[in-house]
Amino acid sequence: MASKSPQAPRLRQRQVAVPTQDIDDSRLHQEDHVGEVYQNPRRRHPVEKLLETRRASFIVVSVLTALAFALRFYKINQPDQVVFDEVHFGKFAAHYISREYYFDVHPPFAKLLFGLAGWFVGFDGKFLFENIGDSYTDNHVPYVGMRALPAILGSLTVPVVYAIMKESGYSTVIAAFSASIILFDNAHIAQSRLILLDATLIFFLSLTMYSYIRFKKLRYLPFSTEWWTWLTLTGAFMACTWGSKVNGILTVATIGIAVLIDLWDILDVKKEGHTMEYFWRHFTARAIGLILVPFIIYLSFFYVHFAVLTKSGPGDTFMSPAFQETLSGNEMLLNSQEIKYLDTVTLRHKDTKVFLHSHIERYPLKYEDGRISSQGQQVTGYGHNDTNNNWQIIPTKALPEAGRGRYVRHGDVIQLLHVNTQSYLLTHDVASPLMPTNQEFTTWPKDDHSRHNDTLFYININEGHDGDVVKSKSGHFKLIHGSTRVALWTHTKQLPEWAFKQQEINGNKGATEKSATWFIQDIIDSEDEDFKNRTEDHVEPKKPKSMNFFRKFGELQLLMLQHNAGLTASHPYASSPINWPFLLSGISFWTENDSQKQIYLIGNIVGWWTCVISLSIYVGILGADLLARRRGLDPIPDPVRNRLWNSTGFFMLVWGVHYAPFFLMSRQLFIHHYLPSHLASAMIAGSVFSFILSETVNYPVSVRGPSTRAHPKQYADLGIKAPIIFVGFSVAMLVVLLFFAPLTYGTPGLTGEQVNARRLLSTWTLHFAAKVTAEVV
Amino acid sequence: MRPSGSGSVTVDFGPSTPPRTSDDFEQVPYPPSHWANANPEEELPLYSVNEEKARRRVPKHTGVQQFASDADNYDDEGKDVYSKPRSFKAYQSSGRPRYPPTPPPTSIKEFLLQNVEHVTPVIYTLLACWTRFHNIGLSNTVVWDEAHFGKFGSHYLKREFYFDVHPPLGKMLVGLVGLLAGYDGQFEFKSGAEYPDTVPYVAMRVMLATFGVGMVPLGWYTAVELGMSQWACHLVALMVLFDVGWLCISRFILLDAMLLFFTFLTVFCMTKFHNQQYQPFSFDWWTWLVMTGLSIGWVTSIKLVGLFVTALVGLYTIEDLWDKFGDLKMSVRDQLRHWAARIACLIVLPILVFMASFKLHFMVLSHSGPGDAQMSSLFQANLEGNDFSRNPLEIAIGSRVTLKNVGYGGGLLHSHVQTYPIGSAQQQVTCYHYKDDNNEWNLLPRWEEPPYDPKTPLRYLKHNDIIRLSHGPTGRNLHSHTVPAPVTKLNHEVSCYGNATVGDVHDYWRVEVVDDIKRGRKEKVDRIHSLTTRLRFRHNILGCYLRAANTVLPQWGFKQIEVSCIPENSPKDAHTYWNVESHWNDRLPAGETKYYRSPFLRDFWHLNVAMMTSNNALVPDPDKEDILASKPFDWPFLHLGLRMCGWGDTQIKYYLMGTPLIWWGSATSLIASLIVLGVYLLRQQRKYTDMDPNEWDHFLYVGKVAFLGWALHYAPFLIMGRVTYLHHYLPTLYFAVLMLAHLLDHFIFSSRRLVLKTKAIAFGICAGSILLCFWWFKSVAFGISGPIQNHKGLLWRKSWNIYEQ
Repeated sequence: MASKSPQAPRLRQRQVAVPTQDIDDSRLHQEDHVGEVYQNPRRRHPVEKLLETRRASFIVVSVLTALAFALRFYKINQPDQVVFDEVHFGKFAAHYISREYYFDVHPPFAKLLFGLAGWFVGFDGKFLFENIGDSYTDNHVPYVGMRALPAILGSLTVPVVYAIMKESGYSTVIAAFSASIILFDNAHIAQSRLILLDATLIFFLSLTMYSYIRFKKLRYLPFSTEWWTWLTLTGAFMACTWGSKVNGILTVATIGIAVLIDLWDILDVKKEGHTMEYFWRHFTARAIGLILVPFIIYLSFFYVHFAVLTKSGPGDTFMSPAFQETLSGNEMLLNSQEIKYLDTVTLRHKDTKVFLHSHIERYPLKYEDGRISSQGQQVTGYGHNDTNNNWQIIPTKALPEAGRGRYVRHGDVIQLLHVNTQSYLLTHDVASPLMPTNQEFTTWPKDDHSRHNDTLFYININEGHDGDVVKSKSGHFKLIHGSTRVALWTHTKQLPEWAFKQQEINGNKGATEKSATWFIQDIIDSEDEDFKNRTEDHVEPKKPKSMNFFRKFGELQLLMLQHNAGLTASHPYASSPINWPFLLSGISFWTENDSQKQIYLIGNIVGWWTCVISLSIYVGILGADLLARRRGLDPIPDPVRNRLWNSTGFFMLVWGVHYAPFFLMSRQLFIHHYLPSHLASAMIAGSVFSFILSETVNYPVSVRGPSTRAHPKQYADLGIKAPIIFVGFSVAMLVVLLFFAPLTYGTPGLTGEQVNARRLLSTWTLHFAAKVTAEVV
Repeated sequence: MRPSGSGSVTVDFGPSTPPRTSDDFEQVPYPPSHWANANPEEELPLYSVNEEKARRRVPKHTGVQQFASDADNYDDEGKDVYSKPRSFKAYQSSGRPRYPPTPPPTSIKEFLLQNVEHVTPVIYTLLACWTRFHNIGLSNTVVWDEAHFGKFGSHYLKREFYFDVHPPLGKMLVGLVGLLAGYDGQFEFKSGAEYPDTVPYVAMRVMLATFGVGMVPLGWYTAVELGMSQWACHLVALMVLFDVGWLCISRFILLDAMLLFFTFLTVFCMTKFHNQQYQPFSFDWWTWLVMTGLSIGWVTSIKLVGLFVTALVGLYTIEDLWDKFGDLKMSVRDQLRHWAARIACLIVLPILVFMASFKLHFMVLSHSGPGDAQMSSLFQANLEGNDFSRNPLEIAIGSRVTLKNVGYGGGLLHSHVQTYPIGSAQQQVTCYHYKDDNNEWNLLPRWEEPPYDPKTPLRYLKHNDIIRLSHGPTGRNLHSHTVPAPVTKLNHEVSCYGNATVGDVHDYWRVEVVDDIKRGRKEKVDRIHSLTTRLRFRHNILGCYLRAANTVLPQWGFKQIEVSCIPENSPKDAHTYWNVESHWNDRLPAGETKYYRSPFLRDFWHLNVAMMTSNNALVPDPDKEDILASKPFDWPFLHLGLRMCGWGDTQIKYYLMGTPLIWWGSATSLIASLIVLGVYLLRQQRKYTDMDPNEWDHFLYVGKVAFLGWALHYAPFLIMGRVTYLHHYLPTLYFAVLMLAHLLDHFIFSSRRLVLKTKAIAFGICAGSILLCFWWFKSVAFGISGPIQNHKGLLWRKSWNIYEQ
């Protein structure tokens, strides 16, 4: 390669000769700031020097941590009632203890921890957290022990934030400043005092950030033991974040983006001149540490999840029949029976749980909107047991006298005979009562063969194969009409009075529609002699079947994704993401009317607005820097600029990736989804604070490797200003925290006027507000 | 003791002055060009270093810094010879390579030889004439949206005011075409109806198809300006010529041909302007900048989709200015001139064009028509054929009136027998934009007062009067209560309740005068006049104000505007202002008033707000399956076509779809472009030099125009809530086609490794397959007569609904 003839400058040749690095550009550049570069550490302000000692740092972080514990554990037994989403997460913990299968959109790690905590403090799993406001003390639930877990994790987040800032090279005061934004924050406190997943999520997010920064600082010592340790830890904590809550996937994305940028730099032949082999080593290491390890850990959460939940529970119905048959005590496992022709059965809709029903009344000739019906017999969906739910399965082919030939199989053409009125189920090209696009269902007398073809239906088992027998309970199937190819379908809309407000049944033209799934609930009667053998009392209990873990895992992941996207119902306290940083909306977690107590999730307005202002300042600085550099000016010294772009940029990345995706989501969103971003913005606030007060930073912070050039050191010097401002800021935070404490801790109760005083923004919808008497103009 | 110089012997060690340093010599700076030439660092090709390093490569010696700072404000005045060589460098455009200007021709032959390059586009244009005009009158029925746009064209001929969601320029052109063809504007353009002899529909279609013809040469010249090879230019022209989608849509009385033409024109002007960048502020430069601005104005005045191509020009300009901003050698004055030129030509000029089209619109449509109610009452009063001037001037109890909301986009207070499905379940009250008996209200006295008797003396309506408003057709009273409004939950619901005898104090409204356009402030207004007096209606019990603020009700409210009662008193909120529009009272004399003209800017803004509101209301109805609508994901790979008319055996059938090869190829090329870019960037990072800097610039420039253009025309449809149809992809397709040509050009036709023969074969395959594919599908655009089943082989994808199922 190197011996190319120079006279033929051909394209696509690789420039082998790297330009000689004799001009050390970074050093050249630093000569502009000679005074700062050779800054003497001893020349710093005595306060700064004092604070930077190990002992001072230790004292500061100890005080912060102690305060964090105090603020989060204060009256943690208040209220002794189920609050907000404790309804869900407390219930799930109970399910782990009773080992009953449940379904939820969030991965199981944090809930497993709650289960563990509950088990540890002796919770028996009997209490099911049904409603907000249910009493814990009446039901003897050791809830304090369960709430202690998030409180501990939430408290520990504070020293981790402190450590992140310290590791990133900020002064003690700055680190304490960032930590105090989290420490004194009402939203973080309220969220981590209850049985909710967010404290776990945020704690592991901060640990992920911490380990990644530690890992990044070792970049000049690649493949050392320490480097590997922090790499693997990043992956492990990342898996825990993702395993706590589904939003944790954003943390994975953050680290992914950061690693891609990092790899792009390693690939850059101009910077370091690495070979491709070297690059691939780095790539493989990251693939192992940040993909393989997290994935294994993530899988292991589910392994434990499935291993613990072995009994049938409320989550059964979400799962496929094959899955359900692995759960002991599952009805499907116990009572699933093969269906024979001429059995009389009841059909039930999978999603809305109504029975296919028909009665003697007819559709009105003319609907309210002027459309005309067939005036046939009504077919509706009915929620209760009734003999009008009974249908007999009529074969359309000759049946053998006995044997396997009498079973109903996948793909068979059947007729359904309504037993009470002796008429066949039929659908035709007439618009259904409520939906002009869908077909009406009615019935046709048994003896009238004129419309025989319209009474034929294919019975198609979901994911069935030819020859599969239709089973009661476990066999989910679609009923597809023979001539018009519509699927028997129903939806939650009620028919008017003329159909007794029962549910509408109609033919859905989308024959692949998922919600058109039905199953056979019971076999009522049969013309077969062995009918008695197939009823419940005579059946031997079956053993749970086993199923491959990976198939279980895959099925559950898919369902979680689908249900997460399906959470679109509106909620009174849902808010749109643009409101979050400005703290325009909160969530009412819990109220108690008698004592006028309430818990209202709202952040510390001083802290949150500081963060927003810092964010805008930071963006402004970057913008100004870009513009200035475009004009050939270089107002910010290199170490400071690198810090702003790389370190603070990483915080910014965390903030953005944990925030921006919510704008694209159509599911219901709450302000607590912003808490991870708020954590990152607190760090940005610290960084901006440092930038404003000092023209230097502690530099370099990365660990020096064998081949690293010695960089001239410099030290941040914030002088006496910073501690004073910090103390002032903390006091302000504390005052606001205490002012809002009744809303955060749910105690004591507030009078109407007191509530009004706390309603700083008109968009906060607090309860028990006093009526403001309207002024008459 | 002081040593004396004379007495003691001194040893001469040489001069006692300290050793001379360089400070003692006059610093004669090297000329700036010295460093540029002499410093080996500078010889590194700039593309091999990133922006940051490139800047750092300048040595930091003090002397040089002085030069660097001097160079910025070097007093040039034509005397400096050293800094001249910098601008001596030939300007390397990322667009078309620049040729030296040709000398003026001396003979006709020379002129012809100089212009021989234009022969090819002329041939393509002639071919385009054939495809566009061939059998254009085959179907003598109103096809597809001709029903809309033909009708709107008729309105211009009848000069009746109408309302539509699209800006007026395109429809005015339809009207103009009708005028030129001798159409009298009396046809109703019912969908599927047969054209009578009075409608010269063939002539109208031909004239509009001319825009479609124009697309082809524009495509060719744009490719030329983008610096593509001749082969690629041919391909672009061929694809524009032979796409059946573009062909089909150009052959009817629709706006799409114009939209496409002006989209193409905007891109062409932009590329043309780009190639003038080497000579800023020259005549050509100004010409093409102004042309770009004009065509932006035109394209947005036809359909608002034109904003997407405007965004492309905007991004191009921002990048261009960013480059100029980093050009330290450019004087601040020049910087500002560049900025000013762009603001004037690309922002102000298009807005002027856009507004001018509305001005013309208002001037032409001077008669009352179906769209009146969208506009303010004053505007309507100035339309001919309007009877407002016959309205009795002063309002009295017992009058029958319609009430118009004054806020932008406001309509008439309306009620109908349908009830609210939520809330109180009482009769709905809405704001409606069309004239209808249901807009009429009777002004009646309070319940406590004696009922209105026509024999008693007239009682004129004044400020602070408390009245009851009774809905004309149903007799129910306008009512409000503390039930939350259906959409704006914080406001109170407004409904119609009771009848002539049943009612309560919640039916009382206090009339508050805001001002009078003619008579001025509130104090000067005694009796309330129709049209000019602006009122507010305050609920007497709740103290809330009657308000309608363009909030669209769901389907149960027929997508009309919600009316609610807002508890906050904001005196500046025009959405709580109302005026009396129509006024009937037999006991009062008919008015004979001249009204103030409504100012143009107000009307312009009013109409645009109304257009936006209706456009946003065009959301898909989940309960109705629109067989014609499609999703953006269906478009790039042509998942669906669109039947443009009835599908009977005797009808002439048109199926809107693209030439599959062009659509599939172009969509694939977009994906490929991203991969190619990724690979090139990776290789650059590893210091492989695949292209010289100019080639790379060119590759990026064309790729950016094509990809960003495509993305800007495509992505908004993903986010938009409204119903989307296949023809929305047609402007987008152009950029995909450019990308396909660009990639083929890059890898085949401009490749240095391939010999001419290979390129010729490749071109032959591309062009041939496009032509064959067009020939195969040409009937969908030329019109299919006879049973569709007789035309076999059209179903290339199962999802197309060409054949009966």
